[in-house]
Amino acid sequence: MKKLISLLLALTMVFASCSLALGESVAELAKAAESMTHEELVEKAMAEEGTFTVYGNTSRIVTAAENFAALYNIPFAGSNLKDSEIYTKLETEISGGAKGADMVMIQDGASLQDIAIAGGYLINFVPASVKANIAEGDQNPLIHQFINKVFIWNNLGDNVPAITNVWQLTEPQFKGNIVFKAPDAEQVNMNFLVMLTNEEWSGKLAEAYKNLYGKDIDLGDYENAGYKWIAEFLSNCVFGNSDTTLAEEVSQETAQGKIGLFVLSKLRSSSVYTENLTVGQYQATASGTAIEPFSGFMYPMYAMLSANASRPYTAMLFIEYLMGTDGFKPWGKSIGAYSSNSEIVPLEGDLSLDVWKQTLVMEDPEYILENYEDVYSFVNMFLQ
Amino acid sequence: MRNPFSARQRARLRAFFGKPANIILVTFCIVLCVLTLYPLILLLLETITVHAGKEVRATKLAAGDFSLYSLEKIFATSKNAYSKLTFYEPLFNTLAVALTASLIAILFGGVVAWLITRTNLKYKKFISTVFVFPYIMPAWTLATFWQTFFKNVNVGAGTSNGIMASVFGIYMPEWFVYGYFPISLVLGLHYAPFAYILIGGILRNMDANLEEAATILKTPRWRVMLRITLPIVKPALLSTLLLVFASSMSAYSVPIFLGSPVRYYVLSTKMMSLINNYPGQGYIIAAVMIIFGVTILAVNQKITGSRKSYTTVTGKSSQISLVNLRRFNRPIAVCLTILMVLVAVVPLITFALESVIIKAGDYTLSNMTLDFWIGRNLNYLDQGDSTGILLSAKVLKALGFSLLLAITCSVVAGTSGVLVGYGIVKRRGSKLATAVSNLSFFPYLMPSLAFGAIYLAMSTRVPGLQGFAVLALIGSVKYLPFASRSGVNAMLQLSGEIEEAAVIVGVPWYKRMLRILFPIQKSSFLSGYLLPMVSCMRELSLFVLLVPTSNTLLTTMLMQYSEKGWAQFGNAINLLIIVVVLIVNFAVNKLTGASIDKGVGG
Repeated sequence: MKKLISLLLALTMVFASCSLALGESVAELAKAAESMTHEELVEKAMAEEGTFTVYGNTSRIVTAAENFAALYNIPFAGSNLKDSEIYTKLETEISGGAKGADMVMIQDGASLQDIAIAGGYLINFVPASVKANIAEGDQNPLIHQFINKVFIWNNLGDNVPAITNVWQLTEPQFKGNIVFKAPDAEQVNMNFLVMLTNEEWSGKLAEAYKNLYGKDIDLGDYENAGYKWIAEFLSNCVFGNSDTTLAEEVSQETAQGKIGLFVLSKLRSSSVYTENLTVGQYQATASGTAIEPFSGFMYPMYAMLSANASRPYTAMLFIEYLMGTDGFKPWGKSIGAYSSNSEIVPLEGDLSLDVWKQTLVMEDPEYILENYEDVYSFVNMFLQ
Repeated sequence: MRNPFSARQRARLRAFFGKPANIILVTFCIVLCVLTLYPLILLLLETITVHAGKEVRATKLAAGDFSLYSLEKIFATSKNAYSKLTFYEPLFNTLAVALTASLIAILFGGVVAWLITRTNLKYKKFISTVFVFPYIMPAWTLATFWQTFFKNVNVGAGTSNGIMASVFGIYMPEWFVYGYFPISLVLGLHYAPFAYILIGGILRNMDANLEEAATILKTPRWRVMLRITLPIVKPALLSTLLLVFASSMSAYSVPIFLGSPVRYYVLSTKMMSLINNYPGQGYIIAAVMIIFGVTILAVNQKITGSRKSYTTVTGKSSQISLVNLRRFNRPIAVCLTILMVLVAVVPLITFALESVIIKAGDYTLSNMTLDFWIGRNLNYLDQGDSTGILLSAKVLKALGFSLLLAITCSVVAGTSGVLVGYGIVKRRGSKLATAVSNLSFFPYLMPSLAFGAIYLAMSTRVPGLQGFAVLALIGSVKYLPFASRSGVNAMLQLSGEIEEAAVIVGVPWYKRMLRILFPIQKSSFLSGYLLPMVSCMRELSLFVLLVPTSNTLLTTMLMQYSEKGWAQFGNAINLLIIVVVLIVNFAVNKLTGASIDKGVGG
C-alpha cells in the first residue's frame, strides 16, 4: 500500500513538473524567438507536428487562421468563443495540463491582465520583423488591433438624433430611443462605463455638462459626473444582445429617432441599411465640430501565445502573419478595425487611429480592475 | 492477507451478488455517485472558493482560498440594492414563471389529453401527432417565433416591426411581447406535451369501471369528472406540476430571448451573466436551483411513491365510453387544429422565410435568395460562412458530429435505463433501489449550464476525458432520468412470473433480458432510447462549455450565429436541427413503434 501511495505521489509530481516545464518552455521559447527572422520562424514552425489550434472571439480570426494554415499547409482548428468561455477554457485546460489552444486572440484587457497573464496562461510575443512599427505601449501585451464602438444614429425623418454632447442622451426625449448591448453581456461595454468614473473622464463629463447647460453640474448623491451620466444614460437605454442586430435594427426605416452605441465595423453587414445610418464622429469631423466629450469608446484586441501551445513556433509565425498586411486582410476590407502596425493604414473613408484615440474613451486595465466591483453593482441597478 | 469477512458474511455476499439486479444496482450506485454527487460537491466548494480575477481583487485573497465573500455578496448586500436585484428579484421572477408555466402546461396538456382519450373529438390523429412537436423542438423555437411575430416599434428596442405589426397593423403591448407573460406562456406550451403524455397515459389506462358504474347510477358528467376522474389523475397532475416546475426553473434560452430585451431576469439568466466575472455567485445561484430541484424531487417522491404501479399491461378493462361532444365537437377540433398549426407549423414556416431574405423585415421577392442554403462564394455577405449550409463542409461535419453524439448518448443512457429499470423494479422497496432511483433522477435537476461547468473542471482532472468523450458522458448522465423512468415503467408493467419461468429452466440472465424481457416491452424500452437522442440533438447549454470549438455541434454553431446576428444562416441551421429531430423521431417511431409519449408516460 505504501509503495502504491509513493508511486502515485511520484507520478503526480512528474505530471506537475511536466506541466510546469511546459509553461516555462513556451515563455522561454518566445523570449528566445524575439530576435528570429521570418525564415527562422518558418523553419521552426514547419518542424512542428499536430493540429494548430486558435481560440478567438471574432469570426475573422478564424478566417485569418484558415488563410494562414492554407498558406503553410498546416492542419488547423479554430474556435470562435465568447471572452468568458476562452478564459474558462484556458484556465481549466492549462491547469489540468490538457491540450488546448496554441494561439489566442482576445479582448477585455482587464481580464487578460488579471487572469491570463497573472495566471501564466498567456504569453507575450512580439515578432522582430514588425516590432519597429508598433508603438512601445502596444507591445506588452501585444495589441493586434483596436476596435471602436461609436454613436451611430438613424438619419431618416425629421427628429434625427444628431447629438453634439453626450448629456443630450440623458434628456427625457431619448427615453427608449438609445440601443446598447447590455454591459453585463459584453465585458468591454462594462469596461467603458467603469472608465467614465475615473478622474479624467468624470472631469470631462462635468465640463461637457457645463458647456451644454451653462451651469455647474449638480451631483446630488452621485460620486462624480461619470456616475451621474451612467445612471441617466442607462435609464434611457434599451439593451440588446448582439451589436449586429442593433446595427440592423437602427438602420430600419421604422427606427427613426433611434441612436445606438455599437461596433462601427458592423456597418459591413449585408443586412444593414448603411445608407440610413450616420456615424456621429464622421459627421463631427466633416463639419469641424465634436461630440463632447467623447463619441464612443475603443478597446484593444490582443494576440497572445498559449502557455500550453503544442505548436509554439507555428503560433509565433501566425502572430507575425497577423501583424502584417496579409494577416490583417479579413479586417482591413471594412471600416472599424485599426491595426497597431503603423504601416497598415485604415480604409479610405475611415478616420485614422490617432483621431479616434483622441475622441474615444480608451481602456485602462489597472483602473478597471480596481474599481470594477463598485461600478458593476452600480450599473446593475439600471439593468433591470 | 487474511480475508476480513467471516464465512457467514462471505456466503451472504455471494448470495447478494448472485442476483444480477444487485450487481446492477451496486454498480450504478457507485458510478452515479461519482458522476452526480461528486460534481455536486465540487459545485458546493466553488461557492466558497475565491476565483482568479475580479473575486481576488474584491477579497484581497489568493485564488483558491476559501471565503464567504460570494455568499455574503449575493444574499446580504444592501448597497445599490445588490442582493435584491441580483438574487431576490430573479428568484421571485423564476418562481412566478415556473408556477405559471406549469399551470398552463397542466391545463392545456390535461384538457387536450382528456379530449383525445375520452371524447369523440374529430381530427384526433392530427392533433395528437402535432401536439408533441413543441416538446420535440428546441424550446427557443417558440421564443424566437414569438419575438419575430409580435415585436413592434413600441416595445423593447422598438426599432422594427414583426409580422403582426407590419402585416396586420396590430401593435401588441410590451407585457405581451416581452417578460413574464410570454416567457410563462412559451414554457407552458413547450411543456404541455409533457403534461399531455403523463396525464393522457393514465386516462388511457385507468380502469373505466368506476366511471361506468357512476354513469349507470345516473351521476351527472361533471360530477363523474370531479369525483372520479380528477382524483384518479391527481397524482399525475401533481407530478406533472412538479416536473414542469423544475424544468421551467432552469430554462435558459426562453428567458434570454423574451426577457433580456426588457431586462426581465430569472435565476438562470442571472447565473449566466454572473459566471463571467463572479463565478462564485454564479455557482451559488446554481446551488439554489439544485436545492429547489431536490425539494421538488422529494415532494414528488412522497406523492407518487406509494402509487408507483398504477398501470399494468393487462389492466385495461372494457372499452371506455367516449364522451360525445356533439355540437361542440367541430368548433373545439377546429380551434385546436388552428392552435396546433400556430404553435408547431407556423414557426417552421417563419424560419424558412427568415432564412431566405437578405435584409430583415423586407419580404418582397427581390430581397430573397436561396444563397444561405445552397449558395457558394458568399464572402461578400460577411455572415460567418462562405457556403450555403447544405453545401458547407463545416455545417455537414457538425451535423454528423451532433448525430453521432446523440446516438452515443442515447445508446448509453437508454441501455443504462433498461438496466436501472430492471434493478430497481426487482429490488423494489429496498434502500439500495431507492438510492439508485433517486440518483438516476438527480441529473434532471442539475441546471445544464452548471452541470457543464463542473464537467469541464472534472475533464481537466481525468486524462482522456476530453472532446467527444466528455460530451458523450455528460449527455448520457444528463438524459439518464428519461431513460431510467421509461425503464422502470416498462419493467413495472411486466409480471415477475415471466422471468421466473425462465429462471426455473435455467436460462442465463443476459438471455432472459435479450430474449424475453426486452422483446416484450420493446417499444417502451426503445422510447427510453429515443428521448435522450432527441434531447441531445437540441441541447445547447449543457455542451456549450465542453465543445472543442463552437463549430463542433449544430446547436453551438447556431448559438454563435445568433449571437453574431447572422440571422439567415442561424434560421437555416435552426430549421435543419428541427427537421433532423422530427425525421429521427418519425423514423424510429415507424420502424420500432417507440415514441416520445411512451418514453415519458406511464
